[in-house]
Amino acid sequence: MNIVVCVKQVPAKDAPLAIPEGAAWIRETDIGFELNEPDGYALEEALRLKEKHGGEVVAVSMGPERSKQAIKEALAKGAERGVHISDDKFYELDPLGSARCLAAAIKREKFDLVLTGLQSDDHGFGQTGVLLAELLGLPHATIIMQIDAADGRLKLKRELEAGWFQWVELPLPAVLSIQSGINKPRYATLKGIMAAKKKEIATLTRAELGVTVSPTQRIERIYVPKKTKKTEILTGTAKEAAAKLVEKLKHEARVL
Amino acid sequence: MAVQRETLEADVLIVGGGPAGLACALHLASLIRKHNESGAKPELSAENIYLLEKGREIGANQLSGAVMDPRGLRELVPDFEKTAPLDTPVTDDAAWFFTSSRAWKFPITPPPLRNHGNYVISLSKLTKWLGGLVEKTGVNLFTGFAGSDLILEDGRVCGVITDDKGLDKNGKPKSNYTPGYELRAKVTVLAEGPRGSLTKQLVSRLKLDGLNPQVYSIGVKELWEAPEGRIAPGFVAHTMGWPVPASMYGGGWLYGMQANRVSVGLVIGLEYADPLFDPHEAFQKYKTHPFIRRVLEGGKLVRYGAKTIPAGGWYSMPRPYTDGALIIGDSGSFLDAQKLKGIHMAIKSGMLAAETILDALVKNDASAKMLAAFQERVNASWAKKQLWAVRNFHQGFAHGLVPGLVHAAFQQITGGRGLVDPMRTRAGYEAYAHLDGRKPPAERFKGDGKLTFDRLTDVYHSGTRHDDDEPCHLLVSDTNICIGRCTTEFGNPCQYFCPAAVYEMVDECGERKLKINAANCVHCKTCDIADPYQIITWVPPEGGGGPNYEGM
Repeated sequence: MNIVVCVKQVPAKDAPLAIPEGAAWIRETDIGFELNEPDGYALEEALRLKEKHGGEVVAVSMGPERSKQAIKEALAKGAERGVHISDDKFYELDPLGSARCLAAAIKREKFDLVLTGLQSDDHGFGQTGVLLAELLGLPHATIIMQIDAADGRLKLKRELEAGWFQWVELPLPAVLSIQSGINKPRYATLKGIMAAKKKEIATLTRAELGVTVSPTQRIERIYVPKKTKKTEILTGTAKEAAAKLVEKLKHEARVL
Repeated sequence: MAVQRETLEADVLIVGGGPAGLACALHLASLIRKHNESGAKPELSAENIYLLEKGREIGANQLSGAVMDPRGLRELVPDFEKTAPLDTPVTDDAAWFFTSSRAWKFPITPPPLRNHGNYVISLSKLTKWLGGLVEKTGVNLFTGFAGSDLILEDGRVCGVITDDKGLDKNGKPKSNYTPGYELRAKVTVLAEGPRGSLTKQLVSRLKLDGLNPQVYSIGVKELWEAPEGRIAPGFVAHTMGWPVPASMYGGGWLYGMQANRVSVGLVIGLEYADPLFDPHEAFQKYKTHPFIRRVLEGGKLVRYGAKTIPAGGWYSMPRPYTDGALIIGDSGSFLDAQKLKGIHMAIKSGMLAAETILDALVKNDASAKMLAAFQERVNASWAKKQLWAVRNFHQGFAHGLVPGLVHAAFQQITGGRGLVDPMRTRAGYEAYAHLDGRKPPAERFKGDGKLTFDRLTDVYHSGTRHDDDEPCHLLVSDTNICIGRCTTEFGNPCQYFCPAAVYEMVDECGERKLKINAANCVHCKTCDIADPYQIITWVPPEGGGGPNYEGM
């Protein structure tokens, strides 16, 4: 089973984010980046399926030069090849634009299955996987908690709300968005890291892929939300405090 | 349970991706290239150099002030000024004396504090850049891997065991358990920084101690973004006096960097008598001095960190070579204790080690006899000259600031000799005085949340991260001492010296016990150093853990 897994590099979770005045994106200098955590689960699932059914895993990422690191991590853990869509302005893309670029690159591959993480830890649109399936014209399912593959078909367990699950069946090829927590991702090994140095990472540009995108949406501004929560400690005996509380709930919070 | 480990063999294994380890790797790769180009035999390969770094990436665990003397870097990368992230050259350089409300400028900046020609840098950024250069040479850089144990066979260092990954907090394997590798090498280079855990093992097991025990200081630092126009890039101030009591060794710094960034910090010698002294709190108070406040007020805390500094100098240097191993950088006491500068010397020690290792590889002999050439190279270098001139500096402060400064002046005119040479010292933890009934403070420092902070707020800004479900990496050999003797004699100083709120004495169901919040650890090693009974051992947590000192 040949599997394409989409991996994104996102700002490290604890990075000190700085937002230039009036800007639509964070300042990317001075911060570290890491593999988007949800994509780590997709990668692990891809590697496990490959180990069970044979074939290869190709890691695809998009972004500036630094984003190759996400591909290298995938290669160190056991992916066979990488494809890097080199794009310094990828953050300007909306989910549809991202999906178009990814779809164009993935169409060049011979694949049975495409896996994505549920969403990215930076923009968090959660749409790229769905749009990708549409653009590739393939069946799609989201929030996958278990994959059983047999005879060219997939039996999938989806996580619903409130502890409910749903089983669905799809034919291959297909696109799946993997739920975080589906597995416990492996560690890269020293041997894996050394082997990754010799693995191929193909580089493509938007122009080479023939994708022109005009964003259908754009971010106007990002900002840190103003703190509006106020804490007030009511003093006095329990009875007095309770009376004050009722007053406040009635007249200030207006919930009574 | 016998662990099945995979084995890998390298020519050279460097433990630690700081300035010393990276310089060693980079210089050795370049020497190997020249060696091969000359047609000399045997043919060597940079790919047989492995470097382990416990941080999640190169630079993540690197913390320094830092004003860098570029001498070492210039030798390593002659055209470094073109590509290195140097932030800014020092433009305005002065020493100050603080009282609680005033700042007095020294009429002349004392020679050791002159910084003309130096650069204000972020060590984290510099090492990240160096790491990139090293990677291009073919050296195998393994980030997120710690050296956990030495492989010592018949007194010879044969390599290290890397950290086991995927163990739960009880030490049981999780589903993604990956045992550490047995990494064997002809030469192992310990470049672990101050109080390296493997260096500590090696020095004690092979009795490589220097004349004096190593003594340390702790540096607590914050990186700020100040309001526009408060401080010029390249402004460098070193301060003495308040809030450090005159009985103690210590001082502060304030550096202006690009884009209104400010580096501010306080260094405290870890040989103070008061077991309830809290270096983090002293640093918070330091920021309220008008001289510092007027720069920071209204600005924003960006990052926090703490790290120890080996201050013992030449006489505390362990023998830096043994069969199969070399010790370099801060682990080897390569730091000018007077200027508190070690980056240039770390780099130099790494380069000298590289030259020694090339010879050892060519002759296929990594015996102590062969590696002793490292000591000779050090002795013949400017690093020795600089260390020798201040060989009695830190010891002079054993009785406080004024005797220390007077003694420093003596050394200045006697070429480092001072009054007594060699001047002996003792390990810092021996200086604690008993509480004698004195009560610990009822409340801990809280801060105003704007200029000053409690420890947990600062820890959050260190970006430190550890898996919640991994074995505790702070090993306390006898917790009965904590609840017994230590409580009455010293009031549990671990609660005060730790700048990351790792140690807490708590009452649980009426029982007093030590609680270790290991996930807060910023890898400064203060506990391993300053614990009065020496029962705390810092071992590396699962690789990839620890602080994230981006921009620091």
